[in-house]
Amino acid sequence: MPELHKSTHIRRIAVALDCSPHSKASLGAAAELARQLNAELTGIYVEDINLLRMANLPFCHEIRMYTSESETFDTSTLERSLKVQAKAAEQSLQRIAEDLMIKQSFRVSRGIVPEEVIAAAGEADLLVLGRSGRSPSCRKGLGSTARKALEEGKRPVLFIRPGFSAKEWPVLVLYDGSEGSRQALSTALSIINPDVTLNVLILGETHEESVELELALSEIIALRGSAVEYHHLPLSSGQTLMRYIRMVDSGLLVLSDRMKISREEVHALINEIDYPVLLV
Amino acid sequence: MAIPSKLPPEKLYRTCNPQEFSFNTTADLEGHVTATGQERAFEAISFSMGIKHDGFNLFALGPNGTGKQTAIMHFLGNSAPQSPVPSDWCYVNNFEKPRHPKALRLPAGKACSLSRAMEQLVEALFTVLPSAFSSEEYQAQEKNIHEEFQEQQANEIGELEKKGAKEHIALIKTPAGFAFAPEKDGEVVKPEEFMMLKKKERDSIEKKIIALKTAMQSIMAQIPKSQRETQKKIKELNRNVASFAVKPLIAELRTEYTAIEEVSRYLEVLEADIIENFDQFIEKESDQKEVLPGMYPGKFLQKGASFNRYRVNVIVDNSATRGAPVVYEDKPACQNLVGDIEHIAQMGTLVTDFTLIKQGALHRANGGYLLIDARRLLAEPLAYEALKKALRTRQIRIESLAQLYSLVSTVSLEPEPIPLDIKVILLGERNLYYILSDYDPDFSELFKVAADFEDELSGDLDGKLAYARIISSIVHKDNLHHFDRAAVARIVEHGSRITGDSTKLSTHMQSISDLVHEADYYATAATREIVQAEDVQHAIDAKLFRSSRIREKIREATLRNSILIDTDSEKIGQINGLAIYSPGGQRFGHPGRITARVRLGKGEVIDIEREVKMGGPIHSKGVMILSGFLGARFAYDQPLSLSASLVFEQSYSGIEGDSASSAELYALLSAISGVPVRQCFAVTGSVNQFGQVQAIGGVNEKIEGFFDLCKARGLTGKHGVLIPASNVRNLMLRNDVVMAVKEGLFAIFPVSDVDEGIEILTGIAAGELDKTGLYPDDSINGMAVIRLKKMAEKIKKFSSSSDDDNK
Repeated sequence: MPELHKSTHIRRIAVALDCSPHSKASLGAAAELARQLNAELTGIYVEDINLLRMANLPFCHEIRMYTSESETFDTSTLERSLKVQAKAAEQSLQRIAEDLMIKQSFRVSRGIVPEEVIAAAGEADLLVLGRSGRSPSCRKGLGSTARKALEEGKRPVLFIRPGFSAKEWPVLVLYDGSEGSRQALSTALSIINPDVTLNVLILGETHEESVELELALSEIIALRGSAVEYHHLPLSSGQTLMRYIRMVDSGLLVLSDRMKISREEVHALINEIDYPVLLV
Repeated sequence: MAIPSKLPPEKLYRTCNPQEFSFNTTADLEGHVTATGQERAFEAISFSMGIKHDGFNLFALGPNGTGKQTAIMHFLGNSAPQSPVPSDWCYVNNFEKPRHPKALRLPAGKACSLSRAMEQLVEALFTVLPSAFSSEEYQAQEKNIHEEFQEQQANEIGELEKKGAKEHIALIKTPAGFAFAPEKDGEVVKPEEFMMLKKKERDSIEKKIIALKTAMQSIMAQIPKSQRETQKKIKELNRNVASFAVKPLIAELRTEYTAIEEVSRYLEVLEADIIENFDQFIEKESDQKEVLPGMYPGKFLQKGASFNRYRVNVIVDNSATRGAPVVYEDKPACQNLVGDIEHIAQMGTLVTDFTLIKQGALHRANGGYLLIDARRLLAEPLAYEALKKALRTRQIRIESLAQLYSLVSTVSLEPEPIPLDIKVILLGERNLYYILSDYDPDFSELFKVAADFEDELSGDLDGKLAYARIISSIVHKDNLHHFDRAAVARIVEHGSRITGDSTKLSTHMQSISDLVHEADYYATAATREIVQAEDVQHAIDAKLFRSSRIREKIREATLRNSILIDTDSEKIGQINGLAIYSPGGQRFGHPGRITARVRLGKGEVIDIEREVKMGGPIHSKGVMILSGFLGARFAYDQPLSLSASLVFEQSYSGIEGDSASSAELYALLSAISGVPVRQCFAVTGSVNQFGQVQAIGGVNEKIEGFFDLCKARGLTGKHGVLIPASNVRNLMLRNDVVMAVKEGLFAIFPVSDVDEGIEILTGIAAGELDKTGLYPDDSINGMAVIRLKKMAEKIKKFSSSSDDDNK
């Protein structure tokens, strides 16, 4: 009988802040989680070294977003606006921390953004960041920082997009009996709000296996007292999975990239799917 | 000259014989009134109600309590239900000009159903529209439009980014926009490395960057345009979705009201407005957060406001009206007549909309009849002017008084005026009618017909029967005991007494109604099922008694000789006149002593009352007529060498009227001739320059006043009253007086000339001129002539001796 891992106890949550809508959503979700788990919240703001370098280039011009005017880009203005942005990020962190009565700290570092974020998150038990940040094209899929965290960063990591409330997340966990999926389930159980429904999508290779997996799980989960709904899907490609996830339309998706489906497929899924994702 | 004989008892009171009536009690009569004796007024009413031209409104004039309103209501109760039922009216929002709400005319009974239909429509919209806009199809379409825009933008920028990447130029987001910089391994080239490059390389990079920048700028320049296009597309989508949801709902309403053009037109505009403002039916969560303290909760306010916008304010609902409406407005204040625009206080300011328009009596009575009490109308500020304006312009224009006088400065409305087709009936006293027609030129144009109500009706059998029916109707209406025919007869007699004319009956319904109620009270007290004559008599007596305090005080003072009235002896130059007192509407008569003294003089009669300004002009006129009479009778061939003074003894409150002028003349004749007057008589009547005695008012009360005093002192058979012969028809005396006359204890003399009167008072004939132009020496006139001659001689002597002295 499979045992659930002892849940990683989350004491410190790091959140990447850059004043974009995604980052605001991340902050909200992170703060709500911190309150639930009684964890400390650390805000990370990275001053983009690329910007500073660029400002020092002799011919550099900035094209203003709403006037399309081109203006020279000088270091002192840039420094000032970065400070202002950092200040704004810190204030929003302080405000939400006061409201929810959680401990918070704020850290500003300078460097290449994805690297700095991942480095700064090293000490935290959970990294929360927006699916995309201030990237120039309003592209779909993950932003550069998120991609970097997905590829190289530590686990667990939570990718947020605006429009979901952390409080009322129904959670969908992908479970196939693998080590990674067991960990995903235990993490989900540790962060889930007991009032919301836990959806478990069981990916068995055969129907019989699925039934077995469900039977085994239900005994363990019943102890937790959460409402659980089981869904079954034969193990299949990432595309089918994605369609099914969209159909269930549950809020937060919890999964691991150490499951029976390949890591690449999981990453592609995360890149495509339009839901907040907790990768364990 | 023959002395007129005493009036026989049957002349003193015109009894109503119960046997004239064919019914036993009023229960045998139907309980509704037919108007008798008001033919003139009814002719006017029927003329005014029948004529369709402007300005033929009615003024019903007559004393209060003559039943004007009852009679008109009775008339209209027969004719109004035959007229067509007027239209319903309602006010609806004017979507183009919200300050000018539109008036809609609908067939009777339709306004309320339209109002209900609109309420249901709004309710339906609150479910239909949100579900249309929350449907997946809509959401998907909206998302598509947004994404189309974003994708296009992202693609263009993405292309540029790719192009840059090929040339190792990175697109970087700055805090306020975009910038391009040379990159190496995903990082911006460090400035010092860059500076180490060859100039040629640097120039080439710069060139590339400038090219990319220009391309970027042109992409940016397109953004507002495509944003606008997106907005337009979204709006178009919204319109289509809203219109698809709304149209079937309104089409349903429209088929119901196709016949009414105005309503279909309104529904058309309404549909467009709902589609344009569909979002008010879709609640947004964010709105709830913006509730300020002291405001209504956002949800309620939003829902309420849009709800009001599409509501129908029913001003006139004739669904339950039969025929033309008949409205009596009890408080004809301006806003009660023409309606009002109310305001509600919201966050310290006064706001209003078309749902706060309030109807007035003119709206309710439009197409029918409006009855107003004229005195109350005039007592209300501006109400009369407002009514006249409405009648003149033939429309009801609602203006708030406060707005008119700038008492409040807040947004107000100018509702579309409603055409007015109405007959206004003003009820008022005659005086008011005459004043209005004299001083208000508009009045005679707007109220062309006057229904002049009689205050008395003929005392023939028809009149008596009318009385019986009136009593019956009061009994039926107020659920009283029925009256037997003797009781009715007694009331008829009382009606005669009120008019002071034995051949007429009073139409003062209030007094009759009061008497009926009072008689019923006494019958109930005596546990009688049927009210009898004695109950009526009881009521009359009791009423008299209740109001008798002052009368009793005066009589008491007279009996104690505080007020000197002689009813026994004979006195020169002294006579009992009769005065009427009317404190608080109750009239009673009482004798007053009139005295005349003469002395040498130049022929003037001094009216002491006038000298001290206690006599009114009519009284003074009466006294001056006496001078004229005396001069003509005695100073034809010699100067009138006397001065006479006349006074009402012990009068402390002034005197008016000429009804004592005959008494004053008798006192003067007695004083001049030196013949005493019998004090057992009292006299009333006015006199003209020829000595004819003329009619006066209140003859019954006067006789009874003297009778009461004599009776208290003890009737001797000598007592009596001289009244003008022309007043005999007014006699409706109390029963005890009639009985005393019957027993020969009291007498009433109808006098038509002072010569008759003086003979009765003195027992000596007045005397007529003989062929030689002289009065007999033993007549009153003869004795007067002799005394006057003596006086003239004395004056002559006196004046010549004084002339001698002067010489």
